[in-house]
Amino acid sequence: MPFPILTTIVFLPALGAVVLALLPRPGDRLVRYTAATFTFITFILTLLLFQSFDQKLGTMQFRERVPWISSLNINFDLGVDGLSLTMVLLMGILGFLAVLISWKVEKRVREYFIWLLLLEMGVLGVFLSLDLVLFFLFWEVELMPMYMLISIWGTGRKEYSATKFVLYTLTGSAFMFAGILVLYFSTGQFDMTVLSAMRLSENGFPREILPAAAVFFLLFAAFAVKLPIFPLHTWLPDAHTDAPTAVSVILAGILLKMGGYGMMRLNISIFPGVARDYAPLLVLIAVIGVLYGAAVTLRQRDLKRMIAYSSVSHMGYVLLGIFALSPVSLTGATLQMFSHGVVTGLLFAMVGLVYDKTHLRDIHKLGGLSRQMPIIAVIFSIAGLASLGLPGTSGFAAEFLVFLGSFQSQAFPGIQLYTALGVLGVVLTAGYMLYMLQKVLYGEPKPEFDDTRDADFLERVPIFALTALIIAVGLYPASLTNVISLGVMPIVGRLGF
Amino acid sequence: MASQLVWLIFLLPFLSFAVISLVVRPFLNGSARLSGYIAIAAIGGSLALSLLVLQEVIRAPGHELLIPRVTWVVIGTTELDLGLLVDSLTAVMLVVVSGVSLLVQIYSQGYMHGDAGYSRYFAFMSLFTGSMLGLVMADNLLQLFVFWEGVGLCSYLLIGFWFHRPSAANAAKKAFIVTRAGDFGLLVAILALYASSQAGTLNIKELHLLAETGALGGTFLTWAAIGIFAGAAGKSAQFPLHTWLPDAMEGPTPVSSLIHAATMVAAGVFLVARMFPLFEHSSQALATVAVIGAFTAIFAATMGLVAPDIKRVIAYSTISQLGYMMLGLGMGSVAAGIFHLFNHAFFKCLLFLGAGSVNHATGTFDMRQMGGLRRRMPWTFFTFVIASLSLAGIWPLSGFWSKDEILAVAFQGNFILFLLALATVFMTAFYSFRVIFLTFAGSYRGGASAGAGHGSQGDGHGAPSLHESPAVMVVPMVALSVMAIISGWFNLGGEFSGFLGEKAHPLGFFGALANPLALLSLGVAVAGIVAAYGVYGARWVSAEGLGRAFAPLYNVFIHKYWLDELYETVFVRWFLYTFIFGLMELFDTYIVDGLVNGAASLALGGGRALRRLQTGQLQAYGMAIFLGVLALGLIMVLIR
Repeated sequence: MPFPILTTIVFLPALGAVVLALLPRPGDRLVRYTAATFTFITFILTLLLFQSFDQKLGTMQFRERVPWISSLNINFDLGVDGLSLTMVLLMGILGFLAVLISWKVEKRVREYFIWLLLLEMGVLGVFLSLDLVLFFLFWEVELMPMYMLISIWGTGRKEYSATKFVLYTLTGSAFMFAGILVLYFSTGQFDMTVLSAMRLSENGFPREILPAAAVFFLLFAAFAVKLPIFPLHTWLPDAHTDAPTAVSVILAGILLKMGGYGMMRLNISIFPGVARDYAPLLVLIAVIGVLYGAAVTLRQRDLKRMIAYSSVSHMGYVLLGIFALSPVSLTGATLQMFSHGVVTGLLFAMVGLVYDKTHLRDIHKLGGLSRQMPIIAVIFSIAGLASLGLPGTSGFAAEFLVFLGSFQSQAFPGIQLYTALGVLGVVLTAGYMLYMLQKVLYGEPKPEFDDTRDADFLERVPIFALTALIIAVGLYPASLTNVISLGVMPIVGRLGF
Repeated sequence: MASQLVWLIFLLPFLSFAVISLVVRPFLNGSARLSGYIAIAAIGGSLALSLLVLQEVIRAPGHELLIPRVTWVVIGTTELDLGLLVDSLTAVMLVVVSGVSLLVQIYSQGYMHGDAGYSRYFAFMSLFTGSMLGLVMADNLLQLFVFWEGVGLCSYLLIGFWFHRPSAANAAKKAFIVTRAGDFGLLVAILALYASSQAGTLNIKELHLLAETGALGGTFLTWAAIGIFAGAAGKSAQFPLHTWLPDAMEGPTPVSSLIHAATMVAAGVFLVARMFPLFEHSSQALATVAVIGAFTAIFAATMGLVAPDIKRVIAYSTISQLGYMMLGLGMGSVAAGIFHLFNHAFFKCLLFLGAGSVNHATGTFDMRQMGGLRRRMPWTFFTFVIASLSLAGIWPLSGFWSKDEILAVAFQGNFILFLLALATVFMTAFYSFRVIFLTFAGSYRGGASAGAGHGSQGDGHGAPSLHESPAVMVVPMVALSVMAIISGWFNLGGEFSGFLGEKAHPLGFFGALANPLALLSLGVAVAGIVAAYGVYGARWVSAEGLGRAFAPLYNVFIHKYWLDELYETVFVRWFLYTFIFGLMELFDTYIVDGLVNGAASLALGGGRALRRLQTGQLQAYGMAIFLGVLALGLIMVLIR
């Protein structure tokens, strides 16, 4: 039996959490180093996985399948393809950097890192599971750490936000669980790969309980909340605003992507016909999300809320790319998920730094910081420019592919008009990003920030790493798109355009 | 010549940017001068290679070099490549961009001397030049767009170079957002062209072919061309997207000279020329370009008549001259438009360097604080006059030749547009010499109060001591003034037009003086100069009196037709921000989130209501059970 690398990747963070829990009276330093070690090894393993992934094979690789509850046909079933590989890599990177970003957490340090590690395990499990029950379990596992991290280490109305986040997500999950059960009772399967191959939307269910479209939307509900799509997004600004920095990074960086991933892996793969039928509606919602998110962003004055609403806008591009249903648009959407993860992760890290130094997030009270903190100003600006899709950054490559793929899509007539409206979003994005940068960084330096310090060495490591990644992917997106398109092609193949 | 060397033309400045920003600035900031040397060496290399390329292109059959392509992204059947298109248009642009940029950077060493951001300045200038060089060599629209945005970014960074000044930060943001509004059209046009061309191509040559064979045509082609023109209008500051350019004065003056001469604004004209076959096959698109161009020419000139700031006058003249170029293109002559771009690059660059030199001495850009600088700054004065004569279109300086060609094609094409262009000639000559008389003639009006009072307005050049600028600044100005005289002579025998693939009707060096049209424009220009002399030199009529006599017009011009207010206050602030976005925010807070919280309250309230049933009294539960059983029994009886 080959080395079970996927199992190792998923459970290594959990092992780290157990080790942390069992350490007898550890000092905070030891806790931090332990967390860093485990997440770093996980990161290295995800890199190795990326390296050893066969870039010619459009199927699931490194499959590990062990019967779990045989009587119900439930398996412990992991596997990775181009889609999940990209997301796992992103989690590996952000998982480690999140620990570095959390280095200065002083409150209940051991608990904090335990929850953070469990969170990473849950997310990795979601992306690697091929069995619906396992997928659902991991999907739910991620909620508990998030609740704790926001409500204990957060700021502001943290309990309200944490509760809202959990209840909102749980409501979505309830629909998804119903969908999974309906799928099982009408096909006898929990295996995603088998379900995808059954062509349910063309051939119909072996035993129909609900119409395919109904099952599609039961599953979709959970992903729609997670992504989030308009108008299911209002948990996001609250959760972001009140979460601690590293949790915002993880939340924007990777948790949202579980939604987009689920749509591709389950909705489109299993029900391509339904996806085609409802593409016009969902693309419309996507474009509304892009413009609406950008408009509301401009009205915010809290930095974190601005970036949270900008995420709503950017996730609109993901939704657009997914339901434009063309190979290029789906690849673009996945690249956008990766890019947004890195870029917005960096933006939240920068806001966190600014907040640490000034204890302010109100853009009308900040200003002129580039004199007092030049490094923060440069990296913040690069992140902002990447977010507005400047060529040379990952944001441009991703958005351009989404637009190109959507424009040439044959999903439905008139999609070009929707796409053009979506492109209008880049003007608005430029508007709010430059407005934000100007308000915070430029203009006369303010004397009240004269005593603040620029980023220190420890703070520079994660933000430099993310910046390098943004530019590397921006200059040579093929390093990721080659892998992503391997995962996208089989999905597109089922759509039958 | 090896193809790798051609890539180096734009990679050298990028390399310089990388070295300055990653090595010199973090580690060697003590030796900031090194940044200047690196940047100048890189641009010098680019210029040398550009000249070699020009030579090769002249020799090459079809005036085009073939460079192997490189793959960027492949997804299924969609393949996006990188490649270089080096033809006559590219070769001309390469030489103009790298040549002007080199001179500007040499000059900048003197101008930016002692500035805290010296290294940063040269890093950005390198990136700016590299992006523009990459733009003119791109062989497909995606790559072109990448560098196009790169140019936009650099102008943002350089206009906002003194980011601690709120006005500079504002101007930078405005430049980026206004041009991006135009880029929206360009991007949609690119996507549409890709989606509609059968093979799915963004390759410029292939798109030309599709337009020429009629595979792209009709309304679609018109809209695609107009989309491209929207992008060009943003970058080249054509009405109604011109408002960013006058504000762009907030950057250091050499930046203005680079933006106005060779990079940024030239990109729009270049784009139309590059995609010209698409315009050529749609008469509506071509007419749009011509009308917008002619209108912008006269529209911007009117504002130049009254502006009190020397840099703003020159900025309006740029907008106006770009309008000429667009007019030439819109009238169907790429050669006329590009030839004017070529000549304009030198004299416009020179005018800005001259304005910078003046500021270097006086510490201000306000012409009301100048005067009498002729004796103190002879070189600046001398070169400035040459540039102004060239701009005004006086024989035999360069501006005369290319402006005359544009007037000639306009005369053949549309008489109304020709009249607009001719009227602009008068205004151009008038405002150019208004600047000269106000700045260099008469006696110095600045003085003691100037030093402190204008520190914030000038480029950080404090106490004015009225001296000529150092040689490092004067030498580039002299070099440019030579070009401002002779660059027009490249087309005396139609060589320039022929190189760009057009037949010209050369007038000849002296022949021009016998051509009625040329004589007419020359006469109008001279009239403009005389009028300026009358008002600002000899003061036959007072400028204030004129302003009062034409008060309504004066107010319109000095307030820039209130377009800034219309865009920024009425449209953006009131309509978009307060009204539309404000409504959306209210909707988000009270409807979308209100429903969510409402659902939660409903659940809570429902729970509270239901809780009342759980009284804990056994009697009550027993009663309920009894009633339930009774009801069930009744139902069963009834159903039977």
